[in-house]
Amino acid sequence: MFRFLKMSKLKTLTLMLLLVAVFATTAVNAKAAGHYGYGKAASVEEIAGWDIDIRPDGRGLPVGSGSVEDGEILYEDQCASCHGSFGEGVGRYPVLAGGEGTLTEERPEKTVGSFWAHTSTLFDYIRRAMPFPQPASLSDDETYAITAYVLYLNDLVEDDFVLSLDTWEEVAKLPNNSNFVPDPRPDTQAVRCMKDCKKEVKIVSEPTMTAEEVAAADDTILKAAAGNEKGASVYNGACAVCHNSGVAGAPTLDDKATWKARLALGEATLIKHAIEGFQGDTGMMPPKGGRMDLSDEDVAVAVKFMLAEAE
Amino acid sequence: MRQPKVEETDRLLTEIAKSGDQLPAVERRQFLKSGLSMLGGAALAAGGTALAGSAKYAPPNVPPWTKSLGAPVIADPYGQPSPFEKDVVRRNVPWLTADRIASISFTPLADIKGIITPSGLVFERYHAGRPEIDPDEHHLMIHGMVERPIILSMDDLMRFPSTSMIRFLECPANGGMEWRGAQMTKLQFTHGMLSCCEWTGVLLSTILAEVGVKKGANWILAEGADGSLMSRSIPMEKALDDALVVFAQNGEALRREQGYPIRLINPGWEGNTCIKWLRRLEIGDSPYYQREETSKYTDLMPDGKAREFTFVQEANSVVTTPSPENPLKGKGKYWLEGLAWSGRGKVKAVDVSFDGGINWRPARLTGMIEPRALTRFGVEWDWDGSPALIQSRCIDETGYVQPTYTQLRAVRGSSSIYHKNAIHTWRLHPDGSVTNVQVS
Repeated sequence: MFRFLKMSKLKTLTLMLLLVAVFATTAVNAKAAGHYGYGKAASVEEIAGWDIDIRPDGRGLPVGSGSVEDGEILYEDQCASCHGSFGEGVGRYPVLAGGEGTLTEERPEKTVGSFWAHTSTLFDYIRRAMPFPQPASLSDDETYAITAYVLYLNDLVEDDFVLSLDTWEEVAKLPNNSNFVPDPRPDTQAVRCMKDCKKEVKIVSEPTMTAEEVAAADDTILKAAAGNEKGASVYNGACAVCHNSGVAGAPTLDDKATWKARLALGEATLIKHAIEGFQGDTGMMPPKGGRMDLSDEDVAVAVKFMLAEAE
Repeated sequence: MRQPKVEETDRLLTEIAKSGDQLPAVERRQFLKSGLSMLGGAALAAGGTALAGSAKYAPPNVPPWTKSLGAPVIADPYGQPSPFEKDVVRRNVPWLTADRIASISFTPLADIKGIITPSGLVFERYHAGRPEIDPDEHHLMIHGMVERPIILSMDDLMRFPSTSMIRFLECPANGGMEWRGAQMTKLQFTHGMLSCCEWTGVLLSTILAEVGVKKGANWILAEGADGSLMSRSIPMEKALDDALVVFAQNGEALRREQGYPIRLINPGWEGNTCIKWLRRLEIGDSPYYQREETSKYTDLMPDGKAREFTFVQEANSVVTTPSPENPLKGKGKYWLEGLAWSGRGKVKAVDVSFDGGINWRPARLTGMIEPRALTRFGVEWDWDGSPALIQSRCIDETGYVQPTYTQLRAVRGSSSIYHKNAIHTWRLHPDGSVTNVQVS
């Protein structure tokens, strides 16, 4: 059941000897340890490697800097395929800019400029989770530069702005900063009425799509797969992230011209590239698209699906 | 579904065929079909007709599975549901998210018949996909405003005293697609970002005592080891109350989808705070304002203000039979049943209405009633075949009464996305079918 508890007798014996040794050495520092004394003390270096969060007052910011100018190039290259060149968002990927004054409207547009409270959140999130297909891959200076550029897309800084520890204070608070309030719930005062609780009941809303229409919409890609449902499934689960949007220079399925040239290489070569990774003209395909949990066979059927779709 | 190995399949087929030889031709075909179905759902699907509802083997006839040997032990070393249950699975709504890596799937609530959600049916929510983590290589670091920053291995963590609790887990966006009007066509999608499990782990308070929290520490940043390094700020009061660092779910190791090898569970609070694949706890003096607690998981009000740190999942309920997935088959007596829950404690009572909320009658609470856990309810009902508007209403032990859509929207408008706990209405049609509606 718990793999990490299963060990060979030899391993157990070794561990016990080790534990005796550990206890012997830590006994000296017994006062410094907690009640159980489990685990090891975390060193400054060990903490630094994982302690990546940035707080609203700038605590946690690394030494470095980045300009709007540098940010534009990085953003175009690594962010625009999902978030749009102007931060307008592609498909269902998040809109980053615009939307000022829409928070009270029927369809509010919640962006960095219109909704977010702290620039630290932007820096922190880019550093920990972006770009989506290659999280935590940006250098500190690149993170500064992309943060500066997203602020620029929201008209919050000029085009010659450079973000660093020195200029942080100027932009730390975003325009909507003061509009967050604590949770006042419970905020409804319903009573437990049992009889004649209202005069009449009218149906005011029903789904506009029928169950069949919803199912049909869900099935579009699978139907297109025409006999390669497995390939479609792997594609949707693993490959679509980049190949639907064109992230990181990945050719999209509707880019027929690019695929025509690739087809000439032959299916076997393309499958090999997809499994082993490939440096293309527009971008880099990591081995299995970074999804090392996929089998070679999974990748192969996904490539076959893509080639059929791109034809 | 796991398929038996080729040799095993061959052996079973031979066995089935041998027994089948003794039967007349038609029966033999039927027998082979049912035998094959035991080997996997695919054979059944290919075969076409299912046996369900057939009178073929009703008394006095004796079905072939009574006159033959069944599959041996460890035919399925890790047991799977019957192939006849192949439709009871998690599903997603493709248009809801840009891809399936940062996405959500839903629990099939219409088929959930207890307060424990089977581990394989617990809804999934990923922000950067599901990582594959070797527990021997996983570590939990606790640091910040503590006397003794430490790094725990899984072996270390599991030496602490542990405890178990049955608690629901709900995404605060559950039902969020319904704020502006009825939109989803099935119970799985209107309420399925909801599950309930027995969670086993170490109380966060035990770990905090071990590292020694310094004066002035009020918040804890919890962070996952997945590609999104998912992170949320947790107030110290919750950490010292009932927050649990969990390594087991329903008696076995936590599922990968649920954060294997460890996750945080904040009972009764929005699922998003229950960080999966937990790797780090930083103790600090103020909230960290992570992306998932400002840009997302804040509730926008009609005046343009947004509520932050809206942790509690308030009292809620839904009727699971009848529902779109469980239509009625003709007039007569039915056991109407459903699920109720509250992040503030125990469910005290559930009422049901058949006329869209004009009149109500109390339902019976059935089975275990645990705080912050799914609670079953039901009423016996004689359906005369006329249309009905079926609702349920949860009252929790604090006295809070689940609100109507009208009451909820009067305070919060319809742009807040999260924490929609309004009374839900199923429209029962004379043919027994059920659809999702909202009423005045």
